[in-house]
Amino acid sequence: MDVRFALRFSLALALIAATIASVRAQNVQSDTQNAEAARVIAHGKDIFKTKATCQFCHKWDASGDQGYGGNALSLRATRLTPAQVAETVKCGRPGTGMPYHDQFAYTDKRCYGVTREQLGKDMPPEPNAFLNSDEIDAVVKYLFATDVGRGPSTYEDCVAFWGTETRQCEPMKQ
Amino acid sequence: MRKLSPAMALMTPLLMAGALTPVRAADMTFERALNAISKEPQNWLLYYGNYQGYRFSPLGEINTDNVKNLKPVFAVALGGLQSGGRYAFGNLEGTPIVEDGMMYVTDGWGSVYAIDVSSGTKGDIKWKFDPGIDRAWAGDVACCGVNNRGVALWKDRVISIALDGRMFAVNKATGEKVWERKIADPALGETITMAPLVVRDLAIVGPAGGEFGIRGFIDATDLNTGQQAWRTYTIPGTGEPGNDTWKDGADRWKHGGGSVWETATYDPQTDTIYQGIGNAGADWDPQYRPGDNKWAASVLALNPADGKIKWGFQYTPNDPFDFDEISEHPIIDAKVNGKERKLVVHAARNGFFYALDRTNGAFVGGKQYVDKLNWTTGLDPETGLPANYDPKSGVQVYSPGTHGMRGEPLATVCPSHFGAKNWEPTAYNPTLNTLYIPSIEGCDGIETVAQKDFVDQGGTVKPRDRFSGGAFKMTGRLYGSLKAIDPTTGDVKAAVRLDFPNYAGALATAGNLVFLGQADGIFAAYDAKTLNKVWSFSVGTGINAPAISYSVNGKQYIAVLAGSRQSPFVMQSDPSVKYSSTTSMLFVFGL
Ligand code: HEC
Repeated sequence: MDVRFALRFSLALALIAATIASVRAQNVQSDTQNAEAARVIAHGKDIFKTKATCQFCHKWDASGDQGYGGNALSLRATRLTPAQVAETVKCGRPGTGMPYHDQFAYTDKRCYGVTREQLGKDMPPEPNAFLNSDEIDAVVKYLFATDVGRGPSTYEDCVAFWGTETRQCEPMKQ
Repeated sequence: MRKLSPAMALMTPLLMAGALTPVRAADMTFERALNAISKEPQNWLLYYGNYQGYRFSPLGEINTDNVKNLKPVFAVALGGLQSGGRYAFGNLEGTPIVEDGMMYVTDGWGSVYAIDVSSGTKGDIKWKFDPGIDRAWAGDVACCGVNNRGVALWKDRVISIALDGRMFAVNKATGEKVWERKIADPALGETITMAPLVVRDLAIVGPAGGEFGIRGFIDATDLNTGQQAWRTYTIPGTGEPGNDTWKDGADRWKHGGGSVWETATYDPQTDTIYQGIGNAGADWDPQYRPGDNKWAASVLALNPADGKIKWGFQYTPNDPFDFDEISEHPIIDAKVNGKERKLVVHAARNGFFYALDRTNGAFVGGKQYVDKLNWTTGLDPETGLPANYDPKSGVQVYSPGTHGMRGEPLATVCPSHFGAKNWEPTAYNPTLNTLYIPSIEGCDGIETVAQKDFVDQGGTVKPRDRFSGGAFKMTGRLYGSLKAIDPTTGDVKAAVRLDFPNYAGALATAGNLVFLGQADGIFAAYDAKTLNKVWSFSVGTGINAPAISYSVNGKQYIAVLAGSRQSPFVMQSDPSVKYSSTTSMLFVFGL
């Protein structure tokens, strides 16, 4: 074998190996990122479903509802940006039935520059649970990943929310 | 019975020594139920203590003099805190049943616990029956929490219900299920939360779901067979009397509400049950359903044998407020204006106290008992109808601006739509002829949104969707009160203001005490004449259930279920409970 050829061949091999290795590394890195994003979304779902029970008022698919949760808007149809949704969750909406979730909201002027005293009877309801900023971030990411901007929910969406150990989604089956 | 006779005092310990190795309790019979208070003062055999709806214990060992020494003697942790559907946890609203040292209680998800309380120092759970509810399925169509208000006894069985609409007969000695029957269907938005009323061999219940477009009914199960004996719809169908009070021309009675979620009272004299009926659907859009909307927001008198309606009385025609009148209708014989009357009385969600002639439903008298009432100007002294009810109008305005109308701004109603009194039961001391009303005081707002039609009527609303024609909104603080009234006149004899709207219900005892729990965990006793607070203990979590009293070995106990966290709206009223947590506990107190 020609020495130069052998050299070139092994160089090429090394190059290929290096490329493969770096693609792998990138994959591993993006897998970790995806796993982290999925974890945050799953955490957000748990908050929406159980911890803060947003679904009591907004319905499981965030399509909005009426009755004992107030006239709660559709979050599927919301025009708010993620930052605005986060602010709404944190501060609630004064004069409406949307609760605040930041434990210290209205103790200082962090929310809309007003305090509980200034709001008086427009103070939003107390929440089912207080949420910290990571939790608010998680519930916002969950909403934008599954509900915001989507049309009517489907059977698949229902199963994704409730699982299959319940009859809950049967009425949506065609 | 006031005090034990010496002979009985001697005998009871002997009997109880036997009871420590649990003997099979006697069968529960109709005879025993009829004489629950007079013959078995040591027990609490029926949901209200007696068929007449009194929540009165004839035990007087604990009284105004010694109640200061009352202390917790034991507690038992129950379960049922799991999430499901729209809810993060189950609640406790149940009334314990006690028979010869055994207590039967339920948690919010319908598990029944048989607890041996005969030692007086410890509650021993002998068995637990878990109905195994599909929690997401049932919990998604529960309006206002995961609730179960208790069981009934029949022969050697415990009769219980579950949120998903089933009734169970359970072996009282072992906790093994004998049969179950599906009565209400969550597929239609129906759930069951109430304790069954057992009259002879029938168990009578009905469905909640007035916010989900149901058509309410009262249903009797033959306990010998586990099969349906009869069903009477609370909203009359085509051709039935009252159907013509639905004038929309679009058959909206088919989703007209009239839910049933509190136990009826029973009058053995006239052999009649008195069942309170819930709000019309859709709750806050009266323009959707012009007409009086019978028998929503009413009481129905029925024959327990066949469910035939004897008479009905409607409290709030064309109800635009969500004024369910499901709560108890105590039965009282009393002199009114010098005349002996057979009364059925009701502290209504709409803020008035009513006395009716229970033989024919005629209005005898009525009076406002809640602090603030703005939706009408009074009651017509002849008919008992709201004074500004307009018989010529399909949609009732009542006092303008007090209820939502399409396209109109927020209306403010007092008492709030939660009512002056919601389900939480009154207690009646027959010796003092005084009715104790735990109430919700204050106002709130109603925002009407035109109700869309159901799919079976050409619309888009599906079964299990909320069907309420809008929503309520808090407009200020709610608080509570306990009021002592004369049920023949409606006059308030004494009143005490409470920090929280009351969702627990009262117990009256022959010790001239009234017991009441509150949302902040304070469980208190009040002097039955003055309503001065004479004792209290903090259980450390909210109380949403009424207490009962029983005795073992001649020693009197008070028992109450504790565990609740309030809704965002109740907490909005009083944020001091915003860090509270729920739990699931039975507390028992003794001297
Ligand atoms: C007690 C009932 C209730 C609960 C619980 C609740 N909401 Fe709301 N929410 C409402 C109501 C009512 C509104 C409508 C406010 C208005 O009229 O502007 C609303 C509005 C909103 C909005 C504004 C939408 C828009 O387009 O303007 C967002 C975002 C929102 N809610 C998110 C949430 C999230 C996330 C949770 C849980 C962390 C939650 N809500 C819990 C009742 C509730």
